Amino acid sequence: MRFEPLERYTKSLEEGYKLLPFLFTALDDKRYVLTNQAGQYAILDRPTLDDFVRHHLPADKSEYSTLKSRHFLLDSDSSVALDLLALKVRTKNALFADFTALHLFVVTLRCEHSCPYCQVSRQNDDKPTFDMSKETADKALALVFKSPSPLIKIEFQGGEPTLNFGLIKYIVEQAETINKVEARDLEFVIATNLALISDEILDFCRAHNVLISTSLDGPADLHNRNRPRPGGDSYQRTIAGISRVRNALGRDRVSAIMTTTEASLGRVKDIIDEYVRLGFGCIFLRPLSPYGFAVKTKSYSAYDVNKWLDFYFQGLDYIIDLNKNGLVFAESYASIILTKIHTPFESGYIDLRSPAGIGLGALVYNYDGDVYASDESRMLAEMGDKTFRLGNVHTYTWEQLITSDALLTPLEESFAGSVPMCSDCAFQPYCGSDPVFHYATQGDYIGHKPSSAFCARNMAIIRRLIGLLEGDEETRRILNRWIRI
Amino acid sequence: MMVTPLEDAAPNDGISAYELRVSSEAFSWVSIKKAAYCFSGRCSFDFQSDGKEIICKLLFPRPQSPKIVASIELAFRNELLDQDLRVRIAEETTPLRNAVLAFAFSKTGIQDQDEI
Amino acid sequence: MLTLGAGSLDFRNINGDDSFLVRVSVNRALPRPLRTDRAFLSHAPHHAAAIPDGFQLYIFVGEGGTDPSEVIGSNPTVILPSSFDYLGEADILRISPHRRTVRTLYRNSARFNTVLLTEQCNSYCLMCSQPPKTTDDSWIVDETLRLIPLIDPSAAELCFSGGEPTLLGSGLIRILKSTNALLPNTSVHVLSNGRRFSDLEFAVEYASIGHHDIMVGIPLYSDLSTHHDYVVQADGAFDETIRGILNLKRAKARVELRVVIHKQTYARLPQLAEFIARNLLFVDHVALMGLELTGFTKANLGQLWIDPYDYQQELEAAVAHLARHRMNVSIYNHQLCVLRPSLWEFARQSISDWKNEYIPECQSCSLRTRCGGFFTSGLLKPSEHIHAIADLPPLLGN
Repeated sequence: MRFEPLERYTKSLEEGYKLLPFLFTALDDKRYVLTNQAGQYAILDRPTLDDFVRHHLPADKSEYSTLKSRHFLLDSDSSVALDLLALKVRTKNALFADFTALHLFVVTLRCEHSCPYCQVSRQNDDKPTFDMSKETADKALALVFKSPSPLIKIEFQGGEPTLNFGLIKYIVEQAETINKVEARDLEFVIATNLALISDEILDFCRAHNVLISTSLDGPADLHNRNRPRPGGDSYQRTIAGISRVRNALGRDRVSAIMTTTEASLGRVKDIIDEYVRLGFGCIFLRPLSPYGFAVKTKSYSAYDVNKWLDFYFQGLDYIIDLNKNGLVFAESYASIILTKIHTPFESGYIDLRSPAGIGLGALVYNYDGDVYASDESRMLAEMGDKTFRLGNVHTYTWEQLITSDALLTPLEESFAGSVPMCSDCAFQPYCGSDPVFHYATQGDYIGHKPSSAFCARNMAIIRRLIGLLEGDEETRRILNRWIRI
Repeated sequence: MMVTPLEDAAPNDGISAYELRVSSEAFSWVSIKKAAYCFSGRCSFDFQSDGKEIICKLLFPRPQSPKIVASIELAFRNELLDQDLRVRIAEETTPLRNAVLAFAFSKTGIQDQDEI
Repeated sequence: MLTLGAGSLDFRNINGDDSFLVRVSVNRALPRPLRTDRAFLSHAPHHAAAIPDGFQLYIFVGEGGTDPSEVIGSNPTVILPSSFDYLGEADILRISPHRRTVRTLYRNSARFNTVLLTEQCNSYCLMCSQPPKTTDDSWIVDETLRLIPLIDPSAAELCFSGGEPTLLGSGLIRILKSTNALLPNTSVHVLSNGRRFSDLEFAVEYASIGHHDIMVGIPLYSDLSTHHDYVVQADGAFDETIRGILNLKRAKARVELRVVIHKQTYARLPQLAEFIARNLLFVDHVALMGLELTGFTKANLGQLWIDPYDYQQELEAAVAHLARHRMNVSIYNHQLCVLRPSLWEFARQSISDWKNEYIPECQSCSLRTRCGGFFTSGLLKPSEHIHAIADLPPLLGN
C-alpha cells in the first residue's frame, strides 16, 4: 500500500505552460481583467500579468491555480481544457442558431399622449391610416413563424396599441391557431401606457396569458412632465392601471420600463423609490436615447454620457444599499451583464449582443408592413432615414428579409471580434455591438469607439460591476442574486 | 518618452502639437497605431519615422496644460506596453484560438484525444 | 443443542459443495409452486407447527422454542446465530456449503442495496472505502446475473459498486441490461470513476442499453488536475474522468458528480463548484459527501481527517454557488448539527437504515428523525461539535 505525495503529481508543472487565448483590459490603475473565449474572467495586477505572459508565473502561486482552473493556461498535466473551452464557446453561441425570438407588431401609430421623446406617434387621429391592417398582420405572422426559434415572443407596440385592440385580439388568436401545429413556446406582451385599459382588454389578456408592459418614468411630477397627455394625468392613470392589471391578471403580469430624460438625471433615487413603492422587483435604468436628439442636432456628446453614468452609478449604489437593508430588488442592466459574466448563456437582450441583435434577435413589423431590424431602426426611419428597413411583408419573403444587405452588412461590419478596439477589449464577452446606435450618432455601423457613448457607457459599467464583484462579500452576494438562469 | 510641445506649429492654425518619441526597435507599428487609436477621441495623431525612432505628433485643437499632456503621455505609454503584450499573446495563442472555434462549431465538437 | 461458534455455521442435509443463491420467505402460506426455489425463514422462538413443507431450504435464526433438529428431518437446513436477526422477506442469501458460510447479498427492507461487482480498480484513492485487490473476481459477474432475477421487482433502488465496475466491460453491460429487463421499477446507480467512458465507443455502448432509470456516480475531487490525480493516486485520471463525463453526456446518459470532502479536498471546494457550474452544468446531480472512516481512510487519517465543522464556510459557498446555477445538490453523511442551517435543505438521510447510529448527545435532539446520524465507522471519530438542537420554530423543524 504505497501512496505518493502531492509533489509527485505536481512535478510535471515544472515543464511550464502554454497560454490559452485571452484578452485583457485595465480594470483600474492597478489591476487588469483577463477574459477567455467562454467569457470567464481573472484579475491580475500588471507585474503578474507580465510574468504570466512571459511564462514566468510559478505553479505554486495562487494565481496559477486560478488561471489553470478558469482555462487561461494549459500545462502538461492536463489537456482537457480545450474540449471544455470548445464546449463553452459552443454553448455561448447556441442562442444564435435559434434566430429571431422577439417580434414587435406596431399595430397603430395613434396615441393620445404626446411624449417629447417619442419619434413615432401621430396624435388625435381616428382614421385607420395609421393602423395595421389584417392583411398586413397575416403576412407578418407568416413571417414570424418562419423563424426557427423555439420561443416566440410577440410584443404589441405603437403609438398606443390598445387603440387598435381589435387587431391585437385578431393577431393573438391567429398566432395561437398557427401554434397548434408549430408548438412553439408562445408569449404575448402589450406595451401600453395603460391610460385606456378596460375590463374587456383585461379579460382577453387573462384568457390568453398576455403580459403587460407599461411606462413609468418616476414619481408623478417627473412622469407627467415626460409624458404629457390631455388632462395631464398620465401618472395617475398608470398607477391605477398597474393596480387594475395586477388584480385582474396577477401580481407579476405587469412590468414597467422607464425612459431617461435630462429631467431624470438628478432624480434617480426618487425614480427607484417609485418602483420600490409599487412593489416591482427590479428597474431598468435605461440610457439616454439618442434618437431624435442626435439625428437632429448631431450632438450626443461624451458630456451626456458622464452625466448619465453619474445617474446610473448613484442608482446602482442606492439599489445595493436597499438590498443590504433587506429589500430584494435588482437593476436590470447590471443583471444582464452579470448573467453574461457568470454563465455561458447569452441573454436575450437585443442591444448587447455580438453579432448584433438586429434582425437576429428582433424584428419589427410596422403598421404599413415595412419590416425593420429593431425598434431603433424604426425610430430612425421615422426621422427620415430608412437605412435599416429590411423590406415589406407584402413583397418580401423571409429569406429575402433575413439575407438582405440592409441586415447582413451592418451585422458583419459591426462584429465586435473584428473591429478596432473591441477586438482587443477584454469586455467583449459582456458587451455587444450596436450598429444602429453608431450609425445614428457617428455615421457608420462600426462607430469610433474612443468617442462612442455606447463604448464609454458599457466599459464604465462593466468595470464597476467587476470591481464590485471583487470587493466586499455582501455586495458580491447581492449581485450574484441578480443573475438570471 | 518625453512629450514636447512643438514651437514651430503656427499659432493661428488652431492646432497645438506635442511630440512624443517611441523606439522603433522596441515597438512595432501595429502596437503604436493601435495605441494611438485608443486616444483618437482626445487628440489626433501624425507619425514620422527617423530610423531608430518613431515621432508621434499629438494634435489638439487648442493648447493643453502640462498636467494634461503629462497624463496623456503616461496613459499612452502604458497603452503601448499593453498593445505590445497583446501582440505577444496573439502570436502564441492564435492557433489555439482558431482550434477552439473550429471545434466549437464543428459537428463533433470534441477533439480527437491525440491532437492538440 | 449445539452452540455455534463464530467461525462456522450449522449446515444440515445439504448436498454438493457449490455455492447457490436463494431467496428467503417468512410466509407460511406461500403458494406451493413458489416454495421449491425459496428458503423458509424461521426466527426464534421456533414453533414446530409453524414450519411449512415443500421449501428448497430451511433457515432457523436464533435459539428458542422448538429445537430445529426435531423438525427438519431430511430437509436441507441452515441454522444461523441471532446476528442474522435482520433477515426478512425477499432477502437473498448466498449459501456456501463447502465453506459453511452464509452471506447476505440483498436486503429487501433496505432503502437501497449495493452490489459489489469487482474489487479491481484503476485508481487508488487515498480514502478508498473498498481497497482494490488484483485477484480475478470475474465470477462475480455470473453470480450477479443469477442474483438479479431473484430481486423483488418492487425494489426501488439498486447500486452497483466496486472497485471499478467499468473494468468489467461487456460484463457490466450485460448486468445492466438484465436489470433493465427484469427490474423495470428499479432505479439503478452505478458508482464509477468514469475513466473508461473516455472511450467514446464504450460510453455509447453503455447509453445504448436505453435503461429506463440509471445514473452513473462519478467522483471529482478538484478543479485542478494535479490535485484530483493526487487524491485518486493516478496520473491522467482527471482528464480521463472529464472526457468520460463529456462522452456520457454526448450519449445522453445521466451523470452525477460525487465529491468526498476531507482535508485534501475541502479548501478548493468553492473553486470546484465554480468549475462544475461553468464546465459541467449539464450533470444531473452533485453529491457532496462526508468521509467514511473505512478502508484506506484509516491508514491515511492524518492527511484526510478534518472536523466537518471546520469546513462549513467552504461547503456553504460551494453549495450556494451550485444551487444558484440551478444544479441539483445533495449533502450526504453529515449530521445536521455540524452543518450550517442554510445547508439543511440539501442534507439527505442517506445512510442505509440498518447502519444509522447515534451518540448520547443525539437523544435529546429535535432533529433526530430528520438526521442521518452516523456510520458505525463514523462513531470512531465524530465531530467535536455534535450537539442536540433544541426545538425549532415550525418553519425549520420540518
